[in-house]
Amino acid sequence: MRARRSPWARVALYLFVFVVCIVILYPYFVMFTTAAKSNEAMYAVGEDAVLLPAVWQWSNFIDIWKEAAVFKYLLNSFIVAGGATFLAILCGIPAAYALSRMRFKGKGLFMGAVIMSQMFSPVVLLVGIYRLMTALHLTNSLIGLILLNAAFNQAFAIWLLRGTFTSISSEMEQAAKIDGCGTVQALLRVLLPVSAPGIVTTLIFVFINSWNEYTIALTLISSDVFKPITVGINVFYGFNFIKWQYLFATSIFATIPVVILFLCIEKHLVAGLTSGGVKG
Amino acid sequence: MKEKQTPRARLNRKRVEPYIWLLPSILLMGVMILVPIFSVFQTSFSEISKSGINKGFNGGVNYLWVFQNPTFWNTLKNTVIWTIVVVGISTVLGIILGLVLNEKFHGRKLVRAIVVFPWATALIIQSVIWKYIINADYGALNALLYKLGIIKSYVNWTATPEQFFAWECFVGILVTVPFVTFCVLSGLQSIDTSLYEAADVDGATFWSRLFKVTLPLLMPSLTVSTVLNIIYVFNSFPIIWTISKGDPADQTHTLVTYLYKLSFTNQKVGEAAAVSVVGFVILAACASVYMVITLRSEKEE
Repeated sequence: MRARRSPWARVALYLFVFVVCIVILYPYFVMFTTAAKSNEAMYAVGEDAVLLPAVWQWSNFIDIWKEAAVFKYLLNSFIVAGGATFLAILCGIPAAYALSRMRFKGKGLFMGAVIMSQMFSPVVLLVGIYRLMTALHLTNSLIGLILLNAAFNQAFAIWLLRGTFTSISSEMEQAAKIDGCGTVQALLRVLLPVSAPGIVTTLIFVFINSWNEYTIALTLISSDVFKPITVGINVFYGFNFIKWQYLFATSIFATIPVVILFLCIEKHLVAGLTSGGVKG
Repeated sequence: MKEKQTPRARLNRKRVEPYIWLLPSILLMGVMILVPIFSVFQTSFSEISKSGINKGFNGGVNYLWVFQNPTFWNTLKNTVIWTIVVVGISTVLGIILGLVLNEKFHGRKLVRAIVVFPWATALIIQSVIWKYIINADYGALNALLYKLGIIKSYVNWTATPEQFFAWECFVGILVTVPFVTFCVLSGLQSIDTSLYEAADVDGATFWSRLFKVTLPLLMPSLTVSTVLNIIYVFNSFPIIWTISKGDPADQTHTLVTYLYKLSFTNQKVGEAAAVSVVGFVILAACASVYMVITLRSEKEE
């Protein structure tokens, strides 16, 4: 099928891939090794510096839970990401359903607005978001974060779900309707089960986005009790003294679950995003 | 119930129904996105006291302050450089990596998985790690190069604002490449292999296959990834805020870190809102290009 590659091309390919992997993995290597270093090893320089900890101080991974409210931060992240995902899907499914199955005036306008909304990141709106949330008394509140994360992921959710629904023929639902199902029942009993892969992809994607969100939480949350993990790790980051090993040990706990989740959906996600969701 | 409806009522119901399905989504986005947009516009034309009280319309005073401020112009310049450099280099690297990963070789699946990492990791965590790596006093990069014998004494990697900014661009590229790579991979899968066979029959070289067949057919995927990346990178906050906070002397800001500092550190809320509006205008231009492209490609399908 393809032209045979020369041995040199093969060497170049492996070399390129090798360099790319090294650059990508290097920060993770630093994160893991630093997380297990003692404080002295951490700040040792020159001849004394160590690339790998001489003694792996696994106790760092236990100490973080005592040093700071790491469990609380992780729990907050879980509540925010879970809540935002639930809300985004709950609002997204009916909207995506209407967009893929019904004809109505203003459909193009709504689609345009959805795409436009995707363009306005929370950061450029921070001044307005802060004022709105202050007025609603939702600063320092997990509900505030849930609402905002759900709203800013709404575009992706609708986009991915609509793509999934459109790729599925409506014949089965029509058959169900002839059998006496209402629209809602046809959606719940027929369309949703068939669309499970697309829905799961959307769920996980929104969850990861909300879990990794930093800027809104940084702006709205000042009370330690409501901090998600992305903001919470800053406690190890004092003005005079940075506890890098704790910071990285905590970061590992914040990173592993989402990377695994992401690996599960990568294939479906990319197809959904680039084809504008048309092929699902 | 249904049987009792008059035809007219049923018609009305049919007309209204789609909007009911859209309602939750419209409410959510309307309150959480549209209201802040209006609020930002309104704030940008208002005098806001240090304690956050709105003292009313003040014309274009905030904009005047912003436009007369040299830091703003430097920030705008940085934003343009940041967006073009990060998106441009990421796109080129992403295309190369995508083409490579489309070839069959040992360990391809593993490499694919590794490339996902930077995309899935929280930006703030990537940024913090790199901040530590390039630290001049005890950073991991200095230790590594020293141990390898490449440097004789520790180097200050961020001695100037330019160096700071260059590192930030590097981290930006690192986290942006995966998205391009996977867009390219997904685009490559839809290319008909018979086109390559035809090219081979014609005796096409590697380069002519690349530029005459592969790249033109990748254009739709690349357009989507480029436009989305322009918007993400333009709006990217954690990398710069974590690594340099816009310092030294506000020399390494982009619009988003600048407006954050104005609003939440310097309490210049009205001015920050004006900077946001400038950001909107630039983004809206990008967004409308994107919208036209997506809706058009949709019609073609």
